[in-house]
Amino acid sequence: MELSLNQDQTQILDFIDSLTRPYATVPMHDISFALTSDELDRELAEGGFLDVMAMEELGPVTAALVVERLARLPFAVEAGASALVRPLLDPALPRPLCLVEEGRLRQPVRFLKPGATVVVVGEGGVRSFTATADFIRSAGDEVLYGYPVAYLTGIPAETRSHDIMPDALRTQWRTALAAEAAGLLAAALQSVTTYVSERKQFGRPIATFQALRHRLAEAQVVTNGCYWLALRAAGTGDAGDAALAALHAQEAAKKVAYDFHQFLGAMGMTLEHPLHLWTYRLKLLTAELGGRGAQAIAAADAIWG
Amino acid sequence: MNFEWTDEQQAFRRRLVDFLAATLPGGWEEFSRHGPASPALTEFARGFCRKLAENGMLFPHWPKEIGGEGLGPWEQQILAEVMWEYGEPRGGQYMNVNWIGPTMLKYGTESQKAKYLPQIAAGEMLWCQGFSEPNSGSDLASLRTRAELEGDYYRVNGQKIWTSYAGLADTCFLLTRTSDDRKKGITILLVPMDTPGITVRQIPSLIGEGDIHEVFFDDVLVPVGQRFGEEGQAWEVIGYSLTNERLGIPRYHLARTALDRGVTMLKQAGDFSRETVKAEAARCAALCEAARTAIYAIVQKRVDGGTIGPESSSARFATVMAERAVCEFIVEYLPEALAGASAFLQMHHQRGIVAGIASGAAEIQLNIIASDVLQLPREPR
Repeated sequence: MELSLNQDQTQILDFIDSLTRPYATVPMHDISFALTSDELDRELAEGGFLDVMAMEELGPVTAALVVERLARLPFAVEAGASALVRPLLDPALPRPLCLVEEGRLRQPVRFLKPGATVVVVGEGGVRSFTATADFIRSAGDEVLYGYPVAYLTGIPAETRSHDIMPDALRTQWRTALAAEAAGLLAAALQSVTTYVSERKQFGRPIATFQALRHRLAEAQVVTNGCYWLALRAAGTGDAGDAALAALHAQEAAKKVAYDFHQFLGAMGMTLEHPLHLWTYRLKLLTAELGGRGAQAIAAADAIWG
Repeated sequence: MNFEWTDEQQAFRRRLVDFLAATLPGGWEEFSRHGPASPALTEFARGFCRKLAENGMLFPHWPKEIGGEGLGPWEQQILAEVMWEYGEPRGGQYMNVNWIGPTMLKYGTESQKAKYLPQIAAGEMLWCQGFSEPNSGSDLASLRTRAELEGDYYRVNGQKIWTSYAGLADTCFLLTRTSDDRKKGITILLVPMDTPGITVRQIPSLIGEGDIHEVFFDDVLVPVGQRFGEEGQAWEVIGYSLTNERLGIPRYHLARTALDRGVTMLKQAGDFSRETVKAEAARCAALCEAARTAIYAIVQKRVDGGTIGPESSSARFATVMAERAVCEFIVEYLPEALAGASAFLQMHHQRGIVAGIASGAAEIQLNIIASDVLQLPREPR
């Protein structure tokens, strides 16, 4: 057992912080719900930050740390699937990677666009294809989620099969989901604590009222749990650990997102404040892989058979 | 970062498990129904802890110069996990290992160390913790049990309550007021429980036989040499003690063990195929494991020599959430467990329901997290 970050991990996170500093805050006027940056995406890819899992001295825990850290940005970055799932399939698969479950094509797909690699997980196996415009339907301008999303209209006849069991892929997907959710929770919590510490009512910061303090403290506890469970899932590669991490993350998202908006009052309903970028990403993550119930059953099956 | 136990750590756990398997008497679980503070288990624990000590397993994480094996915080955690997994056969002596011993090492005088550490090391000593008072629970700094210096003695008058193990303890780790300067006016005295003027009254409770008490101090004379630390130093000392105490009982592990055993019973009854039951069990497991990882992160900090700060309150609250969830799961799906069907699950319930109350209320932990982890501005007082 060794839970401290090693020097390489600390260094990589420091590099990411330096690289993403220009993207850490955003002017919140004239933005859309989904905030992305091709330049940031390119810099991360060129810097090799999404390829750390394959490096022996770094591995999957470092990849999860990278995903968690990037998820804290107001910009949406496709990191989870690329950093944690792609190495299991083919490290050269073009990004972004879009993970979908066969039979759930009615759901919006994160980062789907022409040229993206779509990875389809079904009971029969895992396959992928490069998305083309023929198979994509725009979600239009009415999307509330903080990710760029589109719909997949079908799966082409020709796909590439991957030599990996569907359950193994789902396990890693759950880990990626958990790591991303942990970062989103941390960023959302930070933004709320800043706001409630500054906003005054009745002559004092609203953060001094215990009604808020205790709920925020509970949010800190579950956020901390999500962080550690995600890292553990990455470290052990265990199906039960991954399902518990994803379950806890989806539970946490349900538990705290309402409170976070509540504590910001009307400000939490505006696009002027970035909170929605994190919370609405979290909301979409709660729908992934069948939601909390499916994660719970997967965890129970993995742990108790 | 590595989430696997090393070969040595796994061997250490096996060694403990093997020892317990060989040492605990047949029918141990039924016997443990008495509860860790009961006369029967306290008596059993004296013999058991002596055997643990003889085999180097009572406090393997203590330094070699005082009889330990010099093993690290991970081994301390493994030790605690295994003991609670088996229903804590050390009884109240777990406190010695977790915080009395370490606190004695850090703050005790040489003569206090010479007097108490060998007795603790021999597995012969039971302590109680005289902290809470009828009007000083969460607001511990308001305590009023008075210690007036009279020559070579302190004259102690006052009352403590909720004192675990007081009925059979040898010595009380007693918080007293020596001046009116709130936190700076509190002083620790180590008081033999057979000192004239001490009256102990057991409080019947949900949490087990002989567990909680009222303790009355009427003109109790305590030699100055029994003062622990300086006058007014208590707040610093108990801050150190409580940090250890908060991590002391591996409640996440106890709760997870209870959950696993509950699932086994449900499976045997053919009731674990229902998806609602499985999903709820998984939610409980997630809470247990979230608490475990939060605690482990703190253990790592200890390994690295760091100071344990408010993150221990966060980890503690995580364990409270886990305990609460598992207690509710068992009651909902295995109601028979609290009606004679499982000594272990009943024991777990009786330990679990106090998770958010004992050693500092959960709400106090939330206050600490809000102020010191999240750095929110403090409430006006």
